[in-house]
Amino acid sequence: MLGYIFAGIALGSIYAIAASGLMVTYISSGVLNFAFGSMAYFLARFYYYLNTQEHWGAVPSVVVAVGLAGPGLGAFLYLVLFRYLRMASSLIKIVSTIGVSVALPPAASLFFGGQTITTAPGLTPTPERVYTIFGAVASLDQIIAFACVLAVVIIGTLVLRLTGVGLRVRAMVDTPAMTSLSGVNPSVISVGVWMVSTALAGLAGVLAAPSTGLTPDGMTALMASAFAALVAARLRSLPAAVGVAMGMGILTDVIQKYLPVNSSLTNAILTSIPFFVIAVFLIIYLAFSRQVNEASLTGGALDHAIRPQSGSADMAKSSASAAVVAARSGWSPYMLGPVVIIAIVALLPILLSGYWLTLLGTGLAFAVIFLSFTMVVGEGGMIWLCQASFAAIGAIGTAQLATNHGVNPLAAVLLAALIATPVGVVIGLLTIRLGNLYVALVTLTFGLLADTLIFTRNIFYQQGLGVPVTRPAFLVSDRNFAYFALAVFIVISVIVVNLRRSTTGLALAAVRYSEPGARTIGLSVLSMKLLVAAIATFIAALGGGLLALNLQSAVPTSYSTFTGLVWLAVLVTVGVRSITAAVLAGVAFTLLPGVFQTYLPAAWGNVPTLLFGLGAVLVAINPDGQVAVNARQFQSLIVRLAERRNRRSGTGPPDPATAGGTPPPGLAGLVGKASQ
Amino acid sequence: MKAGTAVAAPPRMQCRDVTVRFGGVVAVNSVSLSIPPASIVGLVGPNGAGKSTLFSVLSGLARPNAGEVEFDGTDVTGTSAQHRARLGLARTFQHPEVFSGLTVREHITLAHRISTRRSRIWTDMVTARGFRRADHEEVERVDGLLEGLRLSRVAAQPVAALSLGMTRLVEIARALAANPTVLLLDEPSSGLDAQETAQVVEVFRLAVQRRGVSLLLVEHDMSMVLGLCDYVHVLDFGVKIASGTPDEIRADPAVRAAYLGEEQAPEQGEATS
Repeated sequence: MLGYIFAGIALGSIYAIAASGLMVTYISSGVLNFAFGSMAYFLARFYYYLNTQEHWGAVPSVVVAVGLAGPGLGAFLYLVLFRYLRMASSLIKIVSTIGVSVALPPAASLFFGGQTITTAPGLTPTPERVYTIFGAVASLDQIIAFACVLAVVIIGTLVLRLTGVGLRVRAMVDTPAMTSLSGVNPSVISVGVWMVSTALAGLAGVLAAPSTGLTPDGMTALMASAFAALVAARLRSLPAAVGVAMGMGILTDVIQKYLPVNSSLTNAILTSIPFFVIAVFLIIYLAFSRQVNEASLTGGALDHAIRPQSGSADMAKSSASAAVVAARSGWSPYMLGPVVIIAIVALLPILLSGYWLTLLGTGLAFAVIFLSFTMVVGEGGMIWLCQASFAAIGAIGTAQLATNHGVNPLAAVLLAALIATPVGVVIGLLTIRLGNLYVALVTLTFGLLADTLIFTRNIFYQQGLGVPVTRPAFLVSDRNFAYFALAVFIVISVIVVNLRRSTTGLALAAVRYSEPGARTIGLSVLSMKLLVAAIATFIAALGGGLLALNLQSAVPTSYSTFTGLVWLAVLVTVGVRSITAAVLAGVAFTLLPGVFQTYLPAAWGNVPTLLFGLGAVLVAINPDGQVAVNARQFQSLIVRLAERRNRRSGTGPPDPATAGGTPPPGLAGLVGKASQ
Repeated sequence: MKAGTAVAAPPRMQCRDVTVRFGGVVAVNSVSLSIPPASIVGLVGPNGAGKSTLFSVLSGLARPNAGEVEFDGTDVTGTSAQHRARLGLARTFQHPEVFSGLTVREHITLAHRISTRRSRIWTDMVTARGFRRADHEEVERVDGLLEGLRLSRVAAQPVAALSLGMTRLVEIARALAANPTVLLLDEPSSGLDAQETAQVVEVFRLAVQRRGVSLLLVEHDMSMVLGLCDYVHVLDFGVKIASGTPDEIRADPAVRAAYLGEEQAPEQGEATS
């Protein structure tokens, strides 16, 4: 029993280190760092590079990877990105940290090599040295993990409570604006906090690698466990988060004593512990609290006064300069833009063939999936991180219904999408009232849970091959399929555009811009957002089903949650409010890597993902995405050229939604901008 | 303490013994007030007196720790803000809560549609309404409000591009577009110049006279409150220290003390929206 507790303490210590690293940056700068898992991966991968590939000793490796590279990476990311985020809306914060999390793993494989790592070394040499304490065995790694968390807690407490630096940090947590007025430079403190946090990420990564695996997915799962501790502590109390993290670790190992060894049920229970911790605490908070909202937690009066007032205020500012508008109802000439672009895309199946045609069909199926982000992020103003899981439900549902139950494949796609929709609604019910941050946290955790719990089951997984799906006869040729996918895309686009331009769209915009304002004119924030969540879930699952039809097999691992983060990064890079952006993003997402794989050295294979990640980081600068920005510039050029037309009221470039994009600039802009 | 004896008709809205605590701080301490039909009631007090907190309780954005809120004779203490809005309650905010990316016209149109044809929020999705023009009667009502608050010139601009004063006018127009029976106004004149202030006062008077709307007005500007209101309540540190007609308030020693003696009140920032 004691042995399980020791193992649990060690695991809890790793969770606690990760939770502290996440909590300090959230409390001090208001940024919940969704890139934490990727930072941990990057630094642990660096440790592996030094220790295993370059044969350094464990101690110099950990000193360099965690002690030097960690703070260095933290300082770098702070200087290029995080310092701009403090005043940004929570959506921008989430999206740009997700950009970092997408960009770091390919950067790691560029720097350290792209080989698959099956076993990662811990800090101690194998065979591990073990000690007997109170009659139970504890390994040196376990003792080191516990010593690390003790050191973090004790040093952290001493620094914060007793030193001048600690006083300044605490002052800045309360009100950065007042702190800077009293002569302290908040940037110096912030950069310090980010350096510490990133070093903690590295430490957690190195310690966790032997058990979770040295993969981005494994580290993202580690981060999700730490999120559970954060949610339980309501993103406020560091000691509470550390305590819950330790408790979760101990629980995880102790219940193993009572579960059958090596059974899939045991594995399922263990991996779902963080999710259940989150679910239990969320339900408690929903049931017992009068008001839970993360927005009002940080900062003092002055900070509130200078902060953007509501979620999407800064998005609004950026589109305000590009005034929308005379009529958002009725036809407008601006709607020609997307029509032209879709017409150009419609020519592609004739021009392309073979490999490229297959990629195009896949890209168009992705375009449909991306429309679900257009709905939930663009219209709903929420960041859902489990659209990939919904797509997976669509795909495996299609395969099960069509292949195992003899349903017509197209009907199966539709049915599977209908089956997925209530899942989205339930998640929405649990999280939407708690605010954007919780939506992102919980959807991420749900996605990871579905990855390990549902999609690895052999009925869906089939040893990695997935269940085959046969296309209906008229879709067997790739060309026909590309046209079919495009047709589906167009139908859903028309539905989305209609919704956006109708009363529903106005009401959604109202909810997105100001919840108190929307509620006091009689709108229910919850039902509006649930509506959008339901539609987005349906669309994601529909796209997933299409994708399975295209690949003629439903492989659940191609819909991992981490992949979903890349999808989100791709779409926000191009533009999350625009139909045109969705189709361009879909096509770019498959054709661009195709170009890299075909014409460039293999080592460059990760570059597109890196670019997409950087593109998402850039939303901190252009919240509307590149297509919108380019479309606007193109439009204002036209307006300048045709001076006669600009006497209309509310002249200016159009709503990004209805904007005519410029296809080559959109794509070129993406690559050009991202590679700067 | 003088109770609301001035009117005989049952009040449109009232609250009884409302108390709100934030941790150890009592922001509002057992405050009662009532809003009679077609009247203008003022709520004044120094910064930190609890006015905005009381507003949150009345509009349903916050729950009181104790006390009740009634609307048209029914208890609405536990109901949501959107439910109260449907019953006919509208409000504005001290820091305007506008939909920055929507145009002025869209603000008013939306509020109008929600109050008159609520189901369109759901039916529009499937009826391809988004591709058709708005109907005539709605355009007329919206134009009327734009005209009344002199917003026609900026009707097609997104609100994010407007000045604070204009934004406040948009919020007032949006509130009136919902056809309320009770309208709560949180410092409607701050950020407005003298001419704009005169204009909104005129709009308020018209709303009361023609549509029978009742107003509850939070203001710093004592002269405006005393000139406009039928009845005034004074809060200080969460406690109602006086209430009565403007003449009675002018003469009240406690009010004079609160306003003349404690200008440098230590409290900063109310818990607002």
